[in-house]
Amino acid sequence: MEYNDIRTLLGKYWACESTEEEEEALRVFYAGHEGALPADLQEAAPLFRYFHDCSDVPDMPELFTDRPAPWDEPVTIVRPIWQNWMKYAAAVLVAGGLLYSADSFRDKQADELAFRDTYSDPKLAYEQTQRALQLLSKNLNRGKTQMEKIGYFSEATEKVQGKN
Amino acid sequence: MTSSAFQSLILPYRQKLYCFAYRLLGNEEDAKDVVQDAFIRVWNNREKMPELQSLEAWCMRITRNLALDRLKSRKYRATDDLDRAGELPAAHHTPLQHAEKSDVMRRVHGAIARLPEKFRTVLQLRDMDGLSYQEIADTLEIGLPEVKINLHRARKQVREQLQNLQVYGIQ
Repeated sequence: MEYNDIRTLLGKYWACESTEEEEEALRVFYAGHEGALPADLQEAAPLFRYFHDCSDVPDMPELFTDRPAPWDEPVTIVRPIWQNWMKYAAAVLVAGGLLYSADSFRDKQADELAFRDTYSDPKLAYEQTQRALQLLSKNLNRGKTQMEKIGYFSEATEKVQGKN
Repeated sequence: MTSSAFQSLILPYRQKLYCFAYRLLGNEEDAKDVVQDAFIRVWNNREKMPELQSLEAWCMRITRNLALDRLKSRKYRATDDLDRAGELPAAHHTPLQHAEKSDVMRRVHGAIARLPEKFRTVLQLRDMDGLSYQEIADTLEIGLPEVKINLHRARKQVREQLQNLQVYGIQ
């Protein structure tokens, strides 16, 4: 680039009228120029060489090596209770099933008790059964006698009323 | 904003933010801490993101504020990191030329470091980070005219100091 062009660019630079491309051109010129410069161009040389050297920033170190990055932490999403209705429906179903199973188990146990033997000696069991049946028969007969009496009384009442 | 959206929209700025923080602080470790803290702050305020015009400017602004806080809290001095200029590459120079160049670089660094903070930041954003005037205005939350005025004053002050360097024959 001609010195006159550099002078023009420098004038714009000091007046803050230069574009980013023109400023880059100045940095490139001063960084790459070897040897003596005209006196009026030397003034800005250290500044642009400094800007050029400052572009050498150390490599970016790895971030968050000493602690977890906040955006990597699991985010807990709180949903309204009605959005989890299936969970609660499942819990109710399981509870109902358990109650039903417990109830069925109790009934089954009761049924098994009804068929359980109460006597280990068959002869004794037979005698007890016989005695129980005799007692039942005796009471049935007594009831039958009383019913016959009621029957006579009923017949007599109907005769008096002249129904027959 | 989801984690994946955050990672695709914000994390690509990390290199730019790191360079910005590094130039403000002059220290790799501090620059890394500031960028990490900036990302955490951006993540914690992610609900605001849809309302923002420029995510990049927002991230730069947060990084700048955190870096300035760190400078204040550690009582950094503008001249504390002058030695950094002496670590510039010395390829193709004799020891004498290297010493001269290092000295000039230190003086330029000092001239910029002595600028008021608002001038220095504008100069850095424009001449080192290559931001447009509009991006600088968004980052610093100031108007375009103020950006140009601050930049003009910053360059003028640096130029005067460079002219003094020449007068005393340092270059």
